[in-house]
Amino acid sequence: MRTKRTAAIVVVALAAILAALAGGAKAATSATPVITIWTDQNRQAAVTQVATAWANARGATVNVVVKNFGDIETNLGTVAAADAPDVVVGAHDWTGQLAANGLVEPIYLKPAEKAQFPAYTLNAFSYGLAVKKLYGVPTQIENIGLVVNTSLAKVPTTFKQLEAEALAYKHKKSGNLAIAVQQGSGGDAYHMYPFFSGLGGYIFGTNSAGNLDPSNIGVANKKFLKNASLIDKWNKEGLINAAVDSSTAQNAFLKKQAAFWITGPWNSQLLEQSGIKFKVVQMPAIVYPSVPFLGVQGFMVTKYASVHGVDALAQDLVSNYFSTPTAQLALALANGRFPANVQAGKKVTDPVLAEFGKAGVGGVPMPNIPQMNSVWSDLGAAWVNSTKGAGATPARQSFTAAARSIADKIG
Amino acid sequence: MSATTAGTAAAAPVKLPRPAILPRAISAFSGTTGLMVKIVLLALLNAFAFWAMYVLVTRSHWVAVVVLLLATIGIDLVYLMPRQKTLPLKFLIPGTVFLLAFQVIPIFYTIDVAFTNYSTGHVITKSDAIAQIKLTSLQPPANGRSYTMAAAKDASGNLVLILKDDTSGKTYVGTQKGLTPIPESGVKTGALGITSAAGYTLLTGPALFALDKTLQNYIVPVGTGGAGIRPQTISTAVELEPTLRYDAKRDVFIRISDGTVFRDNGRGEYAHGADALEPGWKTGVGFKNFHRVVSDPLVQQPFVRVLIWTIVFATSTVLISFFVGLFLAIALDKRGMRGQRIYRSLIVIPWAIPGFIALLVWQGLLNDQFGVVNRLLHINIPWLFDANWAKVSCILVSAWLTVPYFFLVSMGALQSIPEELTEAGRVDGGSPWALFRRVTFPLLLIAVAPLLIASFAFNFNNFNNIYLLTGGGPPQSNSSVAGSTDILISYTYKIALASGKGNDYGLACAVSIFIFIIVAVISTIAFSRTRVLEDIS
Repeated sequence: MRTKRTAAIVVVALAAILAALAGGAKAATSATPVITIWTDQNRQAAVTQVATAWANARGATVNVVVKNFGDIETNLGTVAAADAPDVVVGAHDWTGQLAANGLVEPIYLKPAEKAQFPAYTLNAFSYGLAVKKLYGVPTQIENIGLVVNTSLAKVPTTFKQLEAEALAYKHKKSGNLAIAVQQGSGGDAYHMYPFFSGLGGYIFGTNSAGNLDPSNIGVANKKFLKNASLIDKWNKEGLINAAVDSSTAQNAFLKKQAAFWITGPWNSQLLEQSGIKFKVVQMPAIVYPSVPFLGVQGFMVTKYASVHGVDALAQDLVSNYFSTPTAQLALALANGRFPANVQAGKKVTDPVLAEFGKAGVGGVPMPNIPQMNSVWSDLGAAWVNSTKGAGATPARQSFTAAARSIADKIG
Repeated sequence: MSATTAGTAAAAPVKLPRPAILPRAISAFSGTTGLMVKIVLLALLNAFAFWAMYVLVTRSHWVAVVVLLLATIGIDLVYLMPRQKTLPLKFLIPGTVFLLAFQVIPIFYTIDVAFTNYSTGHVITKSDAIAQIKLTSLQPPANGRSYTMAAAKDASGNLVLILKDDTSGKTYVGTQKGLTPIPESGVKTGALGITSAAGYTLLTGPALFALDKTLQNYIVPVGTGGAGIRPQTISTAVELEPTLRYDAKRDVFIRISDGTVFRDNGRGEYAHGADALEPGWKTGVGFKNFHRVVSDPLVQQPFVRVLIWTIVFATSTVLISFFVGLFLAIALDKRGMRGQRIYRSLIVIPWAIPGFIALLVWQGLLNDQFGVVNRLLHINIPWLFDANWAKVSCILVSAWLTVPYFFLVSMGALQSIPEELTEAGRVDGGSPWALFRRVTFPLLLIAVAPLLIASFAFNFNNFNNIYLLTGGGPPQSNSSVAGSTDILISYTYKIALASGKGNDYGLACAVSIFIFIIVAVISTIAFSRTRVLEDIS
């Protein structure tokens, strides 16, 4: 018995030592510095290819880690420094939150590089209370547009025309929708933005320094309130309805129960495969141009790059390499979006992407300040309350309440 | 079961093998086989522990290393020691480890965070925040220039920067003393930046990468006023001037343009009045978050409203599903009933479908314009869009999900009630209703009451149900993140992720501690009441 036990102890100890050795062997890293990049599944191949090309030229190594896109923002705040990325892909509206948390580093582009990007894309990635700084290199842009089934309806040039055509189609058959735009009980301020901007609404104004000013809330500004009764009219005639959620809207358009659908390029593949003849345009102006929200995505350098001693390298990859037309085209197309770089944009041949690009002309980048978090639910709620069919609150009332609620929360 | 005993079943009478399985399994594992299994498991555990220790050492978490080491040695000793002394421990250790990992540590973290200002803008440490403020306070001066850059060694081996102005094309050599022009003809550039400079050796590869920290602090002063050319990447540099100056002795930031002093305000930020610098840092704030739950009208008002609804939701879900489940169990308890098995299986279906899917399906069914419920019944009820109807929907759907549980529990409990008791009642001339009320139900409650309390506590924190069905909506038109059907836990989630300035984890943790206290108090009272029930029997 005694020998058995001794043998057991020896075996257990041996196993432990072997494990430790195995761990140590793996950790004996090579001398070349490693740049860790967090990206989403869609862009993994493109990021790996582009970054490896850069790494080979520079003599560095890249380690591409796949993450859920939405998790990147939150995980960056909680990750241990040793596992942290040096470069992340991100949406421009994370900029305020990440910069306010001190997790990303400013980026300085050369004048020649800056000139290749539309000003709004750089603006979208800039944030600062006193000094506004650029925190990301934009790689792709996206926005929603009005998708018209051209065999069911003519492409409208005025909002009146759109309203008339949509309502006529709705009344053709029970179960038809006028404009398929998604809300659901939680609301969707993003997809409703063309209606909002067309009536004169805006989210945050800008201060004298050109920065977004969270104390200037335009959710219930005078111009908008003057036109708000139109919302009540739309609700009454059933032009839009809050009960339509994302799947209802999609189904209705694909099953030809709606001739108009408001959606973005993430559905372009679905549209092309559906066999429906369609065209994507910007929604016609209501009182003011009905511009959509613009979303920009790009790459940022985290504060951990400097902790890992690869700051200058990571900055080089992001600002000097990801900004080039070739890299931009590869990165944007991997995700089915339009590249941010103007020169790369000229090389896009996909007509649907190009149509979505045109539908975004004059659009407004989603505010990137952290205060935006509380706007989504309140603004979405105002739309739901005023477009839920019977028993809806007059728009003037619900949007005024939303503006007050947003102001209270921001404090 | 039959497969494992097939060998013996053929030889021995059919009755025997069943009770023999457990002892036989134990005896099979107590000899050399058992020892081998034990050694393999322990070796795996030790390998895992050593790997974890290695990771912890590389990150200098010394306390954790010591704790892990002692725990691993302890576990090894317990399982290798002679059986008599450590027998109880052998059974206690696995449970204790899981208890610590999944209960105690999360609770500890929650309490820890509740006393901090952990929220948007207060995530990193103070020293990181100081570095970050310094970095973001740099600004290109008017007409500031940008350069293509290469790090190089001069003839005497000192680090210098070869710089080429991006707009004028003029070339310079920069040192920490200043900028000196050099002939443009001597500097050659390629696609990746400067490729050679006459009289200097350019640094590339590992020699360059090793200088990351040095380059970050390498400033080529230009002009007056603190402006300097700073390397930004390994191949570019920018002229920047600071807008803030850090005074380490006084621990303050001073705005250079007007001398405004930003002091550490004790709440994790440098501030001058209401004007605070970003980023701030994570720091302890005492009972501030708890105080906010109690006194801040924006938090406290919805808290009371949400608390009342949470109790209504949890209570009615439990009661409705219990009585419906009990009714069904009694109805299907009759002996010799036709299709009894089919009925029972059908009733258990809601339990067999994953809750996530069931809830999303219900969301579709209850859509007031296109949902099946309204269309089939030819009614027009705003199931999800009216505050009161949405509450009804939440209760009905969660009851629908819970009924099968109480159906099964009641069925089991009913069968365990001795028939003699009801038999005796019947002989005494009791009506079926009286028999149920006086005999069956009280006996049933003894078994089921603790489960009712557990189910109450579960539904009190039934996040999935609310979040997936209504998302807390429909929204309320008052200044709070809480919607009409938000229960405390989904309200907490919204505070954590969508408060006025982003996320507020500290406040969310304080609210969840309140939730814990509420659930604990209600459960304790309820459990002490069930003891009264036990006295009946």
